Amino acid sequence: MQLKQSLIIAFLLSIIGLSVWEIYWRSQGYYPTINDEKSLWALQRAKVETASDDQVIIIGSSRAYFDIQLKEWENETGKAPIQLASTGSSPLPTFHDIVNNTNFKGTILIGVTPGLFFSTTFPQASPWSRAQSKVDYFKNRTYAQRINFHLSIPLQENLAFISADEEEWSDDIDLKSLLRQIQIGKRTEVPIKPPFYNFGNVNLDRNMSMINRTVVDTAYANSIIKVWNFFGKSAPPPDKKSTMAFFMEDLKKFKARNGNVILVRFPSSGGVRMGENHVLPRAEFWDHLVNQAKVKSYHFEDYNQFKNLKCPEESHLSKEDAQYFTSELLKIMKADGALTNSKTN
Amino acid sequence: MLFNSLSFVVFLVIVLALYYSKLFSWTSKKVMLLLASYVFYGLWNPPLVILLWISTVVDWITGKKLATEDNERKRKLWLLLSMFANLGFLGFFKYRDFLLDNFTTVVNTYGYGYQAQTMDIILPMGISFYTFQTMSYTIDMYLKRTERAKTFLDFALYVTFFPQLVAGPIVRAGDLISQFYEEKKATLDQFFWGIFLVTIGLFQKIVLADILLSGTADTVFGSNKLLHGLDAWIGTLAFSGQIFFDFAGYSTCAIGISLMLGIILPDNFKYPYASLGFSDLWKRWHISLSSWLRDYLYIPLGGNRYGITRMYAALMLTMLLGGLWHGAAWTFIIWGGLHGTYLILERLQRKYIPFKITPWNGMFLAFITFSCVNITWVFFRAREFKTAWNMIKSMFYMQTDGEKILEPFDILKVSLVVALLFLCHWVMRNTSMKEVSLKTSPMVLGIVWALMLFLIAIAQGSGEQFIYFQF
Repeated sequence: MQLKQSLIIAFLLSIIGLSVWEIYWRSQGYYPTINDEKSLWALQRAKVETASDDQVIIIGSSRAYFDIQLKEWENETGKAPIQLASTGSSPLPTFHDIVNNTNFKGTILIGVTPGLFFSTTFPQASPWSRAQSKVDYFKNRTYAQRINFHLSIPLQENLAFISADEEEWSDDIDLKSLLRQIQIGKRTEVPIKPPFYNFGNVNLDRNMSMINRTVVDTAYANSIIKVWNFFGKSAPPPDKKSTMAFFMEDLKKFKARNGNVILVRFPSSGGVRMGENHVLPRAEFWDHLVNQAKVKSYHFEDYNQFKNLKCPEESHLSKEDAQYFTSELLKIMKADGALTNSKTN
Repeated sequence: MLFNSLSFVVFLVIVLALYYSKLFSWTSKKVMLLLASYVFYGLWNPPLVILLWISTVVDWITGKKLATEDNERKRKLWLLLSMFANLGFLGFFKYRDFLLDNFTTVVNTYGYGYQAQTMDIILPMGISFYTFQTMSYTIDMYLKRTERAKTFLDFALYVTFFPQLVAGPIVRAGDLISQFYEEKKATLDQFFWGIFLVTIGLFQKIVLADILLSGTADTVFGSNKLLHGLDAWIGTLAFSGQIFFDFAGYSTCAIGISLMLGIILPDNFKYPYASLGFSDLWKRWHISLSSWLRDYLYIPLGGNRYGITRMYAALMLTMLLGGLWHGAAWTFIIWGGLHGTYLILERLQRKYIPFKITPWNGMFLAFITFSCVNITWVFFRAREFKTAWNMIKSMFYMQTDGEKILEPFDILKVSLVVALLFLCHWVMRNTSMKEVSLKTSPMVLGIVWALMLFLIAIAQGSGEQFIYFQF
């Protein structure tokens, strides 16, 4: 057996193979990106343990994730917020975790996407379990998992083929995702979800921004709009009673220790906004929440600066608009004294 | 720490660099291996290393006493002390909630309305493996079948040796401790073969088990619906392949890593899905556990020394306890019971309807064995008895209106992988990977090796835990 020879051949061929693989995907428009995954979320969540009273934490769903730009926030306030928003998720599990498992008493900005905020408190339902799984991961992560994450960063930052977002995008290129794309006929009754392409890039601070293709390529943006329509049609009716009760209990606890909560309704447009207004009318949901919560709250429709913002895929702002939105929102909140616990410039 | 993780790659490189460094003596290298093993385990949950220490100290002291004590009564007491400590930990961490649940159910059938206080205890990773390993040392010492470990360091390293600590192979003292007495160094061929085995093991785990099969198995066994027969069979076959690749992958990595250190671990799998009957299966599947159960349970229970009825009772009890070893649930006990039944039926067949196995009927027999094994996997994988029973009903078409939850590609993918797995086991059943590689040209071996490395890299495994860690 000439294992040495085989090992050299294996080593050379695998290096060549991986180089060709990397070059191929780069030629297809892929570039190195950071994976949006639980370990990245946990890194930010860990900061809450030592956060001071002037710290702001952002929770919510993807709108709070895309529409707040951390750099602009830091420029305006002198301190970057901790970004804990999570795509397709209810903010309630994260809020519950911070209120019940930490001593944090600074400011929590909650992004209210009505379809997710009022969706459910059922642990197995997707909007809940997606957020809860991150909370659980943070609680249970091992030292080995922490080291793995840090070791994976240089690979994620330098190799385009390292791409395995938790979201399972249709354009992910890890082996499992590539196999998932293969379809030979149809046998089940499960409706086919339209292809869901990644439309944002995240960095290590969890600053999420929309990729330019979503802004300039209408067909690409439309493919994402189709996914929102699919989700909208298949979503169960909202559960306002239990979500409100759950939220109000945690809010009461947080207020009791002088914590500050801000509610923000981020922009949506086109068909998505129409659908939201139809299924979750403002007066019945947002206004009711604001009246019950009695905290500072901001709805994009109430401000001239935001009324004309258009979301390229009807649900999130482009990077430039998100930068504008962040700066303007901060001006409004500062003028309103909403950031009571923060030191502002 | 998982073999299929970046942290392990770094860990292994550091360990190998220190191990082959000329700066240290053999004793220092063993100390390094011991510390590395504690780090390997502690990076999962540091406080639980204390259990390893307690187990090590108790069995070291017991071994010492058993080696010097002549009084049979005292020797027995020392053995019982060790068993009490080891099985006590196992019972508390693994079986407490199961026993309490069953106690509560029985008590409440008499209308007592008892409410048990569950403790939500964390199960120390691999506790069943290292407990059985260390117990084998004490029992062998009691039976004077092995020598006492020369030093505490050798014994501690035997209990904790990181390649096989959390999922075996369960190695006997005689096979491992003696290897620590003299400096070990892998030959160049051993080292490269070790890397090859690690590659094969990772390929089995990351690509075959996690990427190709686990999703289908999870979908089917996670469904609370009554399934179409085809879906139930494919889900079961997927799990059948997944558990083999997952567990055999771990064992192959463990053997490969040890070999890179110049230490030889025994085989744990020998192409089990081509077994000709169930006695053959247990000589090929998880060999280190089945031989442990044979030597420390079946034979002490009487084995075949006291007549047929006693032998069957011993066989069934051994398999039931073997099932319970895997997990604290009735489904695992049923799994063990089914294997016990198969073994008894096979012995009855050999006695009353004997036939000669030829190459012609052999493959058919292997296929029948594999099919029967698949039925047992249903109970092994299902989290609840209800799920398992629904699956069995669906598999035998007692459920004609079952729901279809798998797409054609899933069915094709699983069928192909499992068919290749079965054929591969059939072709390889009387040979070994080493023999085949010796007959293969270096170029072909290199290409296959490269392909596996490439697929491992593009799979980007998400660091899924090995199934057997929970046992």
